[in-house]
Amino acid sequence: MTQTNRLQGGQIDHTKTLRFQWNERWLSAHPGDTLASALLANNIRLVGRSFKYHRPRGIFTAGSEEPNALVQIGKGAALDPNTRATTVEMREGLYARSQNHVGPLAWDRMAIADYLHPFLAAGFYYKTFMWPKAFWEKLYEPAIRRAAGLGALSGKPDPDAYDHGYLHADLLIIGAGPAGLAAALTAGRSGLRVILADEDFNMGGRLNAETYEVENQPGATWAEATVTELATLPNIRLSPRTTIFGAYDHGIYGALERNTGKTRQTLWRIYTKHALLTAGATERPIAFGNNDRPGILQASALRTYLNRFAATPGHRIAIFTNNDDGLRTAEDARAKGLEVARIVDTRKGETITDTKGRLGIRSVTLNTGQRIEVDCLAVSGGWSPNVHLTCHHRSRPVWTDAIAAFTPGPNLPQGMAVAGAANGTLTLAATLAEGHAKAAEITETLGKTPKGTAPKASDEPADITPFWHVAESKPRAWVDLQNDVTTKDIRQSHAEGFRSVEHLKRYTTLGMATDQGKTSNTLGLALLAEASGKSIPETGTTIFRPPYTPVPMAAFAGRARAEHFRPTRLTPSHQWAMENGASFTEAGLWLRAEWYAQPGEKGWRDSVDREVIATRQSLGIADVSTLGKIDIQGRDAADFLNRVYSNPFLKLPVGKVRYGLMLREDGFAYDDGTTARMSETHFIMTTTTTNAGLVYRNLEFARQCLWPDLDVHLQSITDAWAQYSIAGPNARALLSEVVDNLDLSNAAFPFMACTECTIFGGTPARLFRISFSGELAYELAVPSRTGDALIRALMEAGKPYDITPYGLEALNVMRIEKGHVTSAELNGQTTSEMAGLGGMVSAKKDAIGIPLTHRPALTTREQIRLVGLRPVGSSATFEAGAHLLAKDAPNNLLHDQGWITSVAHSPTLGHHIGLGYLKRGATRHGEILRAHDPVRGQDVEVEICSPHHYDPEGARQRA
Amino acid sequence: MLEPTARLGTDLTIGANRITERTDLALYSVAIPRDGESALADALQTLWNLALPTPKQSTQSANTRALRTAPDALLLILPEEAPVAAKLQGSGYITDQTHGLTVLDVSGPDTPSALERLCPLDLSPEAFPEGATARTLVEQLGTTLLRLGDTHFLLISASSSAESTLHAVETAYHSVA
Repeated sequence: MTQTNRLQGGQIDHTKTLRFQWNERWLSAHPGDTLASALLANNIRLVGRSFKYHRPRGIFTAGSEEPNALVQIGKGAALDPNTRATTVEMREGLYARSQNHVGPLAWDRMAIADYLHPFLAAGFYYKTFMWPKAFWEKLYEPAIRRAAGLGALSGKPDPDAYDHGYLHADLLIIGAGPAGLAAALTAGRSGLRVILADEDFNMGGRLNAETYEVENQPGATWAEATVTELATLPNIRLSPRTTIFGAYDHGIYGALERNTGKTRQTLWRIYTKHALLTAGATERPIAFGNNDRPGILQASALRTYLNRFAATPGHRIAIFTNNDDGLRTAEDARAKGLEVARIVDTRKGETITDTKGRLGIRSVTLNTGQRIEVDCLAVSGGWSPNVHLTCHHRSRPVWTDAIAAFTPGPNLPQGMAVAGAANGTLTLAATLAEGHAKAAEITETLGKTPKGTAPKASDEPADITPFWHVAESKPRAWVDLQNDVTTKDIRQSHAEGFRSVEHLKRYTTLGMATDQGKTSNTLGLALLAEASGKSIPETGTTIFRPPYTPVPMAAFAGRARAEHFRPTRLTPSHQWAMENGASFTEAGLWLRAEWYAQPGEKGWRDSVDREVIATRQSLGIADVSTLGKIDIQGRDAADFLNRVYSNPFLKLPVGKVRYGLMLREDGFAYDDGTTARMSETHFIMTTTTTNAGLVYRNLEFARQCLWPDLDVHLQSITDAWAQYSIAGPNARALLSEVVDNLDLSNAAFPFMACTECTIFGGTPARLFRISFSGELAYELAVPSRTGDALIRALMEAGKPYDITPYGLEALNVMRIEKGHVTSAELNGQTTSEMAGLGGMVSAKKDAIGIPLTHRPALTTREQIRLVGLRPVGSSATFEAGAHLLAKDAPNNLLHDQGWITSVAHSPTLGHHIGLGYLKRGATRHGEILRAHDPVRGQDVEVEICSPHHYDPEGARQRA
Repeated sequence: MLEPTARLGTDLTIGANRITERTDLALYSVAIPRDGESALADALQTLWNLALPTPKQSTQSANTRALRTAPDALLLILPEEAPVAAKLQGSGYITDQTHGLTVLDVSGPDTPSALERLCPLDLSPEAFPEGATARTLVEQLGTTLLRLGDTHFLLISASSSAESTLHAVETAYHSVA
């Protein structure tokens, strides 16, 4: 098909042709076209079906406010639904389809809905699908969702790349129309750091769409020259294809850039000192019978297509207007050689009551009864300033009678100013002057001297007499084209009591979905005001929230997708662990080896049982580098530790490690770990893996805010050291071979000793004799880049002892056997007393949390104590989370005795074991209770015992 | 002796830009003892001819740099490992971070564009001139930035997440180069 509706001129490159597909047909276009202008040039007016009634719809606007022309771009995984054809920049090979129809677009089988319209008014669904209740979720809602709606996602992973970024500016100018360009010239020439953003790919705004003159040249020519000049200024960043979608706190703006390069979209966070909103205005429709047909569009959009894109929706045009813009539309159409069949001006008492043409307008009927054949109708109901961003901090716009529209209210977001049509200044010379003046004002505020003057132009006539809808129209008259809301729906909402503007929106869906009512909101308000007998300002507006136009989730995600959804932290032995069959589990950001599967093992239990038994019988090794490690130095370091741990630390000797407990200020226990004293002024603290960040933060707070007079300094050294736990009866034998010149005998290096040393002939290391497993155990640390070499060397040196690497799961089994607590027991709701660590709260000193441990509520909590659990009969199993109940008690909270926190199968003991909290637990060892687990449907008898299932005397770790 | 291995071993060229892991540097955190700033300043001057940097700034002498990372802390970057604690003789508390931190050296014409995709700070030459340093975020990961030249930076971040940092940096360069 040739471009039968292509005109001469415009800002497209007629010398080059692009080919694109529309509903599987190849068509041609030119660089500079949008998909919408190209469709019109190819004489395609029908582009989609409406949301609810499946009415045939065409292109209504030429910008991001488009309610009708929503299409699917691309196919397969790259499919992008609900894209406004008016904002899609034409490119070679573009693939586009219409959406929301069954069968061909022209013969949509779902159009039956239109014939059922008397039943489908606002509130129909709410009233109809009430019974039976259970049907709503299973039947009604899915059926309605299938029938109504917009495009569909591909359901496949998006193959495109998306980016994030951060920009900084003295002044962000939002919109590059006449006001924005004038402001950018002034601010740019004055030396401000400026970002000029516009959602269009071609800057200039209405200057590109109108035939105005600026500085004695065509507006579009002036705009192009201005953009060229701005591009030469190093302090200006031009951001075309960039929508500023939200105004956030402290002068931060959200921006979405549509890229043409490697990334599809970039989400920018823009930090500004000032922002100038020059986002223009949106032309409103007038409601009259059958005002939604393809070929009916905004008068301003028609001028855009004629003047900028050299494309026309028709050749015989009628114009329906309540203001002077309509007359200019006629002039422009005639200048392009089109026939203007009639100008219907409401100010002269003329209206349009109805239109004809199923798939595109064929005629209009006037209130005089006269019928006029046309193939295009341009409508102008006046202009609504784009005040959206001024309202993102809850400011409400104010009604301005002179232009019959809402204009920005007095309480703008901090640092924001508004100029041009967005401020209600609708004529050209005034807009240019205001853009210049506001930029000059901001320049002065920033301590610079404004340069230049406002560009010269004339003001065009812009008289308006408000006119909202044609009351005598019999057929349905659309207010919101995107949501199929008619004048009748608004009257009905009011009649049924939904009279607040917020209720109206939710009852009728007016102003929802992708266009957020940009063309319909003011008209809807006017109709509601009329129905309620109030003025429009009394009726008020709904709240504008970000985003101004839709922002894809993919852009928010940016690079953070799939395995890069969040960063990961890898241990020094990660590579080695991967080579040796480890599977990994997440612990915070860390990936930790959970077990090392060996050939022939049927499941994780086989691996874990083997690792535990090997460690207990001979020698095991685990990477414990993930534990938080904090270097604490200073003259007052010991005093500091004594204030943050509930147990004493002042007199810890150099060369010794002590187990410490930290309390929250409210007296509950929150973290435990060991701290080693390396010198008089130097300690190394370990924390649990999960609480490393929290403990560090709390310590910094204590150091900087609670006790700034102490000489104490913190450094995280978690990543600086690779640390391995070497556990089992042969641990000493192995270490004696690898540690240089150190007596490891029990007398010389006893349980809880520590030292700096060298290993393997000179590698610096730190050795701690501590045990989490309950075995004779050491933790050996080396600078982390040596960690990979160390695990390989230890595995080699440990061969005679059948050294076995063990993972997090075996570590957990062994600590449950031993009765050591972790975050399952210290979960923020338990006290030191409950965990059996009451003796660690010193009565002789003050430390964070100690005073509040004496609260009656904590000391008299029914003597809940940590206990051990084992099944009655060795084959029974139970799980953490179960509750403890007396054998004959009913299964309810009233009879709850306690709960189970940790459970493991103990390969050492040959049955399940657990830890839990039980009322008066310390005195009930030997009692039989039930582990009742309604979530998993389990109920088994368990015997209460000591939490120390294995080596309760601690002989092995002290061996 | 155990041989240390580089965390990343990266030496990448993307367009006209280069990303390398610097394993030739030794990094020491130096905490300034309470009321000990002037003593430390004297020691830095004597030992390395280095001035004590003010916050957000670095000082340089030959191959040695000092970055002020906190009111009471510096990061000392030396061309090789040295017994810094012994040299300072108590005028600063030393924590060896040579292995705790991974240093990415990024340079090339697209570096500013890549970094504006990674870091929320204003890195324009006016706001962040040569020698400026800051503790900031690079793709959500805590990072110390140091500007060595117009289009040349060091990114110093935690070793355990170095792979994630590198992935973010690489991806950002690929977006712009």
